[in-house]
Amino acid sequence: MKTYVPYDDAVDLLDADHQAVKKLFIDFNARCADGAPPEVKRAIAEKICQAILVHSQIEEEIFYPAVREGTGDKSLIEEAIDEHAQAKETIATIQAMDATDGGYDATVQRLGELIDAHVLEEREQIFLEARQAPMDLKALAVLLFERKQTLLASAPKSKAKQQVVA
Amino acid sequence: MRAVVYNGPKDVSVKNVPDARVERATDVLVKITSTNICGSDLHMYEGRTSMLPGRIFGHENLGVVIEVGPAVDRVKVGDRVCLPFNIGCGFCANCEKGLSGFCLTVNPGSAGGAYGFAGMGPYSGGQAELLRVPYGDYNCLLLPRDSEEKENDYVMLSDIFPTGFHATELAGVLPGESVVIYGAGPVGLMAACSSVLKGASQVFVVDTHRDRLKLAEKLGAIPIDDTEGGGVERVMELTGGKGADRGCECVGYQCCGMHREEVPNLTMNNLVQTVKATGSIGVVGVFLPEDPNSPDKLAQRGQMAFDFGQFWFKGQRMATGQANVKAYNRQLSKLIEHNKVKPSWIVSHELPLEQAPEAYDNFDKRKAGWTKVILKPGL
Repeated sequence: MKTYVPYDDAVDLLDADHQAVKKLFIDFNARCADGAPPEVKRAIAEKICQAILVHSQIEEEIFYPAVREGTGDKSLIEEAIDEHAQAKETIATIQAMDATDGGYDATVQRLGELIDAHVLEEREQIFLEARQAPMDLKALAVLLFERKQTLLASAPKSKAKQQVVA
Repeated sequence: MRAVVYNGPKDVSVKNVPDARVERATDVLVKITSTNICGSDLHMYEGRTSMLPGRIFGHENLGVVIEVGPAVDRVKVGDRVCLPFNIGCGFCANCEKGLSGFCLTVNPGSAGGAYGFAGMGPYSGGQAELLRVPYGDYNCLLLPRDSEEKENDYVMLSDIFPTGFHATELAGVLPGESVVIYGAGPVGLMAACSSVLKGASQVFVVDTHRDRLKLAEKLGAIPIDDTEGGGVERVMELTGGKGADRGCECVGYQCCGMHREEVPNLTMNNLVQTVKATGSIGVVGVFLPEDPNSPDKLAQRGQMAFDFGQFWFKGQRMATGQANVKAYNRQLSKLIEHNKVKPSWIVSHELPLEQAPEAYDNFDKRKAGWTKVILKPGL
């Protein structure tokens, strides 16, 4: 049986990720303001990092090449890939840190700002251009969905979760 | 062209920017003759949103069509048009149902598009000489013959008149009912006007600005000055201890207490208290999913301490969200055409575009007498 893909098109699927991760950032900031314990903050931060890594991987492997071909707009995609690179660098920093380290919260919040700016550009430029270009965004959604499932299935278990269980 | 450009918090200037133009076949290009400053422009002006420097403000626009794209059938060069602040496509699931404020096409992912508005797509605002209108056939409201002499009335169809009307629709105001409206700003006053139009028996308008309350009184509403508190008690007294049948929130997330300090849950909880059991509440004041610069910890994360227990206990209902202007602007324009309403009574200032910076400053400070500013790029 074929997998049922609930998203209408690639843009809907990718933006659902944006909205989910935005909610996680708002939660993270709220926990910081409430002085929550480090393991609570780390659990959210790890979820954020994983979501962004999977999201940027499917965009870079599947969505961006398709948009580049469909719209002929190279510079827009290059900019987006640069922004992904910055985000990944920040994620590496976060993952190398301990949640008790000074600067942990600020680094996660810095990642939030990077993602906000990236999402805004993607929504206002790439998504609009893609929707207006002669591209099969419906078919693309299936590829993105399947790749995302595969990546999520093979993702490493969260350190924070193991600790909470222990 | 000249345009009002956002530079950063409390800083706008009129600058030369590249002309707006027809970018897609379905676009219409409008030469702006009237463009209002809105209270929601102030959220952006104060730096309380994600608005990027360099963007052009202005979502309450009216003007003359000077060019149409090759796929525009209905709208002609020379037509005088009023543009709903929301930009819709006309063919998505929400536009089809008249929910043009939540168009799924023009601002991918997040619901809804608007001119010159934070988080509502890449569209430039109309506080400028020219405005690009996407999906022109759908978005332009063609104005009747008297549109030149009544321009200051018709421009209110872009936002505040339909938004005030929407508040009463969300609240479900019916003839003979009583309505309590929080906020005597332009939207609150339009909600009061709409309630009177619908035949409400009593319309209470609660605010702390006496100049604005006077305007409410002129409309036939009962002004309630909450400057020293006691507004809630007064509404309860005037409704025989029951509360009003319907309530409208026309203030939003920057609502203030007696001493001008922000109390984000003030109007919402006052509504729960002053609307009767089984009554309903319409919320058109703007509230945001996050407000990082708010002085209030809960508001920073888009939350408030809401009297939910009281709300539930009283069996109240609530409806929220921005107005779908296209659902109302045609019928409301008929009221103007046939002289049943004259929303221009709200206008306090008509200024050339070049005076936008001082207009923003005065409006933002809520200076007495600055209720509604129309910028006239042609002046």
